Amino acid sequence: MTTLGDSLLASGVSRRAFLKFCTALTSLMALPPGMAPAVAQALARAKRPSVIWLSFQECTGCTESLTRSTSPTLENLILDLVSLDYHHTLQAASGFAAEAAREHAMKEFDGKYLLLVDGSIPTSDGGIYGTWGGESFVDILQQSAKGAAAVVAIGSCASFGGLPKANPNPTGARPVSDLVKDKPVINVPGCPPIAVVMTGVLAHYLTFGRIPELDAQGRPLAFYGETIHDRCYRRPFYDQGKFAKTFDDEGARSGWCLYELGCKGPITHNACATVKWNAGTSFPIQSGHGCLGCSEPDFWDKGSFYKALSTAEWGDAKTLGVAAAVGVAAGAAAAYLGRRRQDRIGKED
Amino acid sequence: MNAIDRIGVKVIAAADIPTGNVKPLLFELAGMLEAWLSKGEPASIDLRSLPLTRGDYTELEAALGSGAVSASVEAIGASEVRETRYPGVWRVMHRNEAGEVVADLLEVCGLPEILRAPAEDAADGLIRLKEALQP
Repeated sequence: MTTLGDSLLASGVSRRAFLKFCTALTSLMALPPGMAPAVAQALARAKRPSVIWLSFQECTGCTESLTRSTSPTLENLILDLVSLDYHHTLQAASGFAAEAAREHAMKEFDGKYLLLVDGSIPTSDGGIYGTWGGESFVDILQQSAKGAAAVVAIGSCASFGGLPKANPNPTGARPVSDLVKDKPVINVPGCPPIAVVMTGVLAHYLTFGRIPELDAQGRPLAFYGETIHDRCYRRPFYDQGKFAKTFDDEGARSGWCLYELGCKGPITHNACATVKWNAGTSFPIQSGHGCLGCSEPDFWDKGSFYKALSTAEWGDAKTLGVAAAVGVAAGAAAAYLGRRRQDRIGKED
Repeated sequence: MNAIDRIGVKVIAAADIPTGNVKPLLFELAGMLEAWLSKGEPASIDLRSLPLTRGDYTELEAALGSGAVSASVEAIGASEVRETRYPGVWRVMHRNEAGEVVADLLEVCGLPEILRAPAEDAADGLIRLKEALQP
């Protein structure tokens, strides 16, 4: 098997271009920029892993997000880095031929392939609410996870159960981590997750040959280590006590904080405020709407999107108090957070 | 006049308002410059990892100005390297082939790495040059 560096150099990519690619990749992975040469060195030696992608109770929004990502050069290079051997929506084969491709990849790359899953898994009534080829999703997941090096749960449904698990959860939907206990599971929640966060997690695995550092919810700290509120450009208004009270008042027009209109930014861990959406154009708060908290467990069942955060649904007063008190000097926080992340990664590697 | 035009609209793009995040960034740069001068440690800041508004970028660019050197690199898209009015502080912006910014950095060093010729590429070049000199 040829390494990635060999194949890139063979296709006429100069070493300077490769360093540039790795600088962009380092930024994408939310690593400190000084690590770019180390990333280049590691990646030049990396081999393309086989990837099997299973879609269960999902809406295809996660795949849409990934394939609609708008920086074609970089995303394509990353997709070139992996060998996507099975994906319902993207593969040409169907029926028995498709299943044969999955089984072939599982056999050939036993113990080495990455298993990506989007959608939750229905478990009620023997798992009959989700089947393909006569097999239940539960069985297919467990069978496919057996030989995987790691499982990546893409989206809030695979990570936490998501919408299918919303009350009263008629199908008994459960997240991947409930059903796969003997493999590392990386949760990449969001409804959908940001495309570069998905590719960034894959790039991290390729670069370092192991899974990234995770938080208590199984999410990569590089992307989910800070809250939307920590990184929100409207944060200074929060600190000044300037809040929009309705969606058409003076405060809303002046771009003040949306906390009182139900923004879940203070308790939501995701990278939207910095990475943003649609080629870095904007994110919900920049468009004038509060954060829904879509990358947090059970966000759907935690009260109105338009009610200010309450302790009843989102944890105790201490949690909310901490969220509100951290980084009172928002300006200093920016540099501080960057440094903190740098320190952590520096120690890790 | 259409009825819809009579509705008063006041547009303030919140994204254009400076947040005050530029000043701590400049303090951090000063610290980095000090470390480079005393210990020779290069450092860099990934601007896109920070919550900066368009207003902040305008403020930052005004604060850093432009220095003696500017260069461009063509490698899977255009890259611009500009020295700021503070020698040793560089703004390095990488774009992909579609022209989108894929990395935007402030680097504190003698010369950004992307400008140096890699020794391996130079060795390949030497082979080509010797071939060209064959009678």
